[in-house]
Amino acid sequence: MKAYAARRLASAALVAVGVTVGTFLLLHVEPGDPARLVLGEHASPSEVAALRHQWGLDRSLPHQFVRFLGDLAHGNLGTSYVDKVPAATLIEQRAGLTLALVVTATLFSVLITVPLAAAAAARRDRPVDHAVRGLSVFGLGLPAFWFGIVLIELLAVRSHVFPVGGWGSSVQDHLRGLVLPGLTAAFGIVPILVRSLRVGMIEVLDADFVATVRAKGIGERRVLFAHVARNALVPTLTLLGINVAFLVGSTVVVEQVFALNGLGSLLLRSITDRDFPVVQSVTLVMAAAVVVVNLLTDLVAARLDPRIRLG
Amino acid sequence: MSNLYDKPLSRRDLVRYGAAGAAVVTLGSLPGVSRAAARRPLDALAGTPKHGGTLKFGRSVAPTQLDPANSIIAGDVYTLDKIFEPLYITSPAGKLTPWLATGYDVSKDRKTFTFHLRPGVKFSDGTPLTAADVVFSIDRARKNSKGPLSFLDGAITSLEAKGTSDVIAHLSAPWAPFLSDISVFANGILPANFGGKTEAEFFANPIGTGPFTVSGFKSDATSLTLKRNPNYWQAGKPYLDAVEFDFVDNDNQRVLQLRGGQVHISDSIPPAQVASLKAASNLTVGLYPAWEVDLLVFNEQDAKYADRHVRRAITYAIDRNALVHAASFGTAKPGGSFFPPSLQYYAKGTSILGPSLAKAKAELAKSSFATGFKTSLLIDGGVQKWRTFAQVIQQQLKPLGIDVTIRALDHAAFEAAFQKYDYELFIDYAINDISDPDEMASFEVDVKNGGSKSYWSNYDNPKAIALVRKAQAEFDPGKRAKLYAQIQELVAQDAPFVPLDYPPYIYGVSKQVNGFAVNPGGAYRLEDVWLA
Repeated sequence: MKAYAARRLASAALVAVGVTVGTFLLLHVEPGDPARLVLGEHASPSEVAALRHQWGLDRSLPHQFVRFLGDLAHGNLGTSYVDKVPAATLIEQRAGLTLALVVTATLFSVLITVPLAAAAAARRDRPVDHAVRGLSVFGLGLPAFWFGIVLIELLAVRSHVFPVGGWGSSVQDHLRGLVLPGLTAAFGIVPILVRSLRVGMIEVLDADFVATVRAKGIGERRVLFAHVARNALVPTLTLLGINVAFLVGSTVVVEQVFALNGLGSLLLRSITDRDFPVVQSVTLVMAAAVVVVNLLTDLVAARLDPRIRLG
Repeated sequence: MSNLYDKPLSRRDLVRYGAAGAAVVTLGSLPGVSRAAARRPLDALAGTPKHGGTLKFGRSVAPTQLDPANSIIAGDVYTLDKIFEPLYITSPAGKLTPWLATGYDVSKDRKTFTFHLRPGVKFSDGTPLTAADVVFSIDRARKNSKGPLSFLDGAITSLEAKGTSDVIAHLSAPWAPFLSDISVFANGILPANFGGKTEAEFFANPIGTGPFTVSGFKSDATSLTLKRNPNYWQAGKPYLDAVEFDFVDNDNQRVLQLRGGQVHISDSIPPAQVASLKAASNLTVGLYPAWEVDLLVFNEQDAKYADRHVRRAITYAIDRNALVHAASFGTAKPGGSFFPPSLQYYAKGTSILGPSLAKAKAELAKSSFATGFKTSLLIDGGVQKWRTFAQVIQQQLKPLGIDVTIRALDHAAFEAAFQKYDYELFIDYAINDISDPDEMASFEVDVKNGGSKSYWSNYDNPKAIALVRKAQAEFDPGKRAKLYAQIQELVAQDAPFVPLDYPPYIYGVSKQVNGFAVNPGGAYRLEDVWLA
């Protein structure tokens, strides 16, 4: 187990480094001058040059990258060009919301996936199964922002059950404000999870050991939950881990649709404004989060299924 | 800008400045009686103002800071102008109105202005406004090398306080736009020396003479609450207890919040949503004339567009009515003169070339490119309206044998490209920050002194430039009007750019709200607003 964990940790670190370098290169390769954007159209070339110098943008790319890594090693994520506060402050202010959103979305996706997949697997090829599979194909093609707007229209604008956007100030408001966005984000990954879990459960249901268990006279309910689920769970858990990356990415769109001030909308805004330090920092934080989640799911899966850590 | 439907999501380079300006002549009178009604949809609701309540206002851009001398984006400007006020402001009709000053005297040589301060004005902490505060604030703004609008104070050589209630401004030369310049939001008045605090401390808890105050300002907030200033110099105002700005940069979400009753007012309504909002029984839509023009710009560094006949041919071929119909859903007016109708000294009689395909072809035949050519049109891809414009223009130029490729870039890349002259044609908007037309005239015509080489077109007509500079020093309104009429006609005939349309500011307002109006610079004062 230890060897497996060590291997996974090493590759996780490599991924984080790769994301950082890739983001840096992409940012600096694309056209657009943050100094110009901040100073406006009336700024003279010398004013723009002075600001670029202040931000170190007039140095060579390798120099800038080394400087960024150096700052990072000291825990300095840089200062926002636009808001002129440390990027770390902006991230701190917003991370809680995105974390809550991702957790909510994950919860919703599990709560929706398990019953649907179980129902479909248990009643294979019957109407329930077809309905679930059909819905899941439909869901695969569903654009998140459209679905979110429909939810807002039906459940917020017309019936005031949930707020139209934002997440308010009290804990109660927060919870209410996360329901629709959480559902929207969850629906992005539910179709794939349902299909995966359904297939996994069917495979297991057909397995010999299940026939044995049934022959022993154990009730269908126990067969499903005690035996089938655990075995079908592992591939789905891995898939969930991968999909958390998708969830984190989808916060960029979902937060826009619901006017949530999280890391996703910060990232989008910073890219448009060419706010390099903030883009770097947010990407790094998101990448780190995704990597950690994947690491954890891999470790849990390895714990559940010895074949993974020994193979 | 209000019509930024589908702008690059999130922070946009809304170069909007609320401004005040001089208006000797009421050129706020716009074509059509319906304009007057649209300008103030809610003043028609008679009734005594009710005191109290919190106005909830959905805004597309959040403020990053509150220093008037350093502000340029809409988020900053339309927040700090509730806290800091200048000596003069621009009314919703576009007229210069005495504000912290009650009037002024000007010397015979027009180089010395003496402003008389309004008696009894206090800052929100109770300290009285004095001439020293005015001198400090405007000196600070004009001497700020990083200030985006410090160029507007360029005519001032020095300021001095005369006693506690008079301020003398010395100018380098007679400068007709001066009163207008003085009223820009960047010249808002703060206490001298920040009332003893450090600059950073001061702007976290700013003190101004304005109707509202802010405590504990933090940038990157989702919302900001402004409280009523009990020491405000207009007795009985503001009527509201507080204003809550909610910053929602996604257009759809903001409109939904308005419809769902989460906010009373929303700025920047996409033109496509105007009809459905008008149909809602609890809402109205305000279309406010703006000092704004959308332009198709020709790069005269390119041989094709250095040729006047080519530019005129293209201008003849563009049907602006069709453009407006396709892209603005009936909210904008088709373009003509490069001055918008709401701007002082707009000349109604300015020639409009076209639309006429026959004349376009005749004009092209006189050029060196009579058989047509291939060209590219650069646009900010995030703005839906310009995508539509580009497609319509592409169609309209085909019969001339001009093959247009649309080059859509994201906002920052777009700005970088045209500012480097890396374009053949491009579309963007031009605005005037103040009521005096000199800003637009210089920026777009004075290739050397205007600051942008004639809006990045390189248009160089010495006759037009001479007229612009003459108008800057002309104080007689009649003569000045004639000069600007000549300039507009020259530009119309030379066609360095094609004014495509005049977009209005579009606001969605709940019927509960009274007294809300927006001036042509995009600024709205909130001390007159009350909730029914």
